[in-house]
Amino acid sequence: MIETVTRKRIEILADKALQRRVTDAIDRIGITGWTIVPVTSGKGREGVWREESVMGTDKVLVLTIAAEDKAMALAEELAPMLTHLGFVLSMWDVQVIRGERF
Amino acid sequence: MFETAIQTFTSPVVLFFVLGLFAAFARSDLAIPEPIAKAMSLYLMAAIGLKGGVAVSKSGVDVTVVSALGAGIAAGFILPFFAYGVLKTFGKLDRINSGAVAAHYGSISVVTFVTAVEILTGQSREPGGYMVAVMAAMEAPAILSGLLLARGMGSKAGTQSTGEMLHEVFTNSSIMLLLGAFVIGMVGGEVGFAPVSPFFEAGFKGVLCIFLLDMGLIAMRRIMESRSITWRLGAIAIFLPIVNGAVGTTLGVVIGLDAGSAAALGVLCASASYIAVPAAMRLALPDADPGIYLTMSLSITFPFNVLINIGLISALAASLTGANGAMQ
Repeated sequence: MIETVTRKRIEILADKALQRRVTDAIDRIGITGWTIVPVTSGKGREGVWREESVMGTDKVLVLTIAAEDKAMALAEELAPMLTHLGFVLSMWDVQVIRGERF
Repeated sequence: MFETAIQTFTSPVVLFFVLGLFAAFARSDLAIPEPIAKAMSLYLMAAIGLKGGVAVSKSGVDVTVVSALGAGIAAGFILPFFAYGVLKTFGKLDRINSGAVAAHYGSISVVTFVTAVEILTGQSREPGGYMVAVMAAMEAPAILSGLLLARGMGSKAGTQSTGEMLHEVFTNSSIMLLLGAFVIGMVGGEVGFAPVSPFFEAGFKGVLCIFLLDMGLIAMRRIMESRSITWRLGAIAIFLPIVNGAVGTTLGVVIGLDAGSAAALGVLCASASYIAVPAAMRLALPDADPGIYLTMSLSITFPFNVLINIGLISALAASLTGANGAMQ
């Protein structure tokens, strides 16, 4: 049976215009990679939002997988931005193959 | 004046905008796919930049062009200070939101300008091609004034450095494309433009119609879902374009522009950005609420300008220059 290890999968909902602040933080912490996923619409405390690329109000999901210590370091790094910039961060345990890569 | 208003409401460009407003109000599922809307905005900016550049290469740069540029840039820097005062006192907004909204009202809306050119041309008052250069030059100054007002002289922790911010302002995709296409138009001139003109001219009005349909949809959906707009802010979103439009038009007449170009300067001063400035503000002033600045500029000022104010400005320019006889 193939061997898997537990890692944290972190998901950050951020404005597309500000996604670099998230990916820069991921790079600074030393997490190997990240993926950007476009999203179309949603609703939060400020009401409904939609993808409006002409006005630049679209949002993205930044996904990354890391060992727990790095995941916690990233959460700490991003914490000030969450309220200040209206980002949403969540993380949960996932099983990955080739754990040394994350 | 009445005739001007009728001409505005029989323009397909304006009617498509009204259709968008109506469809969103009726909660229709009509929607333009996002990548197509983005592509249309790029097409419109490239086309308007190119046409302006070609027009300037034909007419050359004279005193009129230079004074129009100077007036536009000065207005871009100064208008946000007036807007800021109104927003802070009457609008009761805080400093950051006042500065962010003020930047929008000092800057320009390309689509409002293009719609105005269509309407003015229909009234035999086509603005000079150099007004495109004035438009491009007016995009950025207000961003700097707005940031100065919002941040004070020193930059705050948690925001970008001034260098990063300036880089963002001047490499902003719409400013880059508009100015770049303008330079290409100037370098290529009429001869260079001829081979590409079928693409940029034949489709222009049609694309503008569909783009305005989309803007109508977005503008109405935003205002219907808005939670941040008070009656005071709504009133300011109507008051500022009236005052700024009158100031810009008068300024244009004073520096010796023809009726069409003076009206175009008035429209540029009256219009509020909803493409370039929101993008810059989201980066430079992330604490400011897009629900305020985008809803004011896109959902209130833009429809007001397209449906009513362009006609008023055109009539003002005509009466100030005594050009009423030019109307058909």
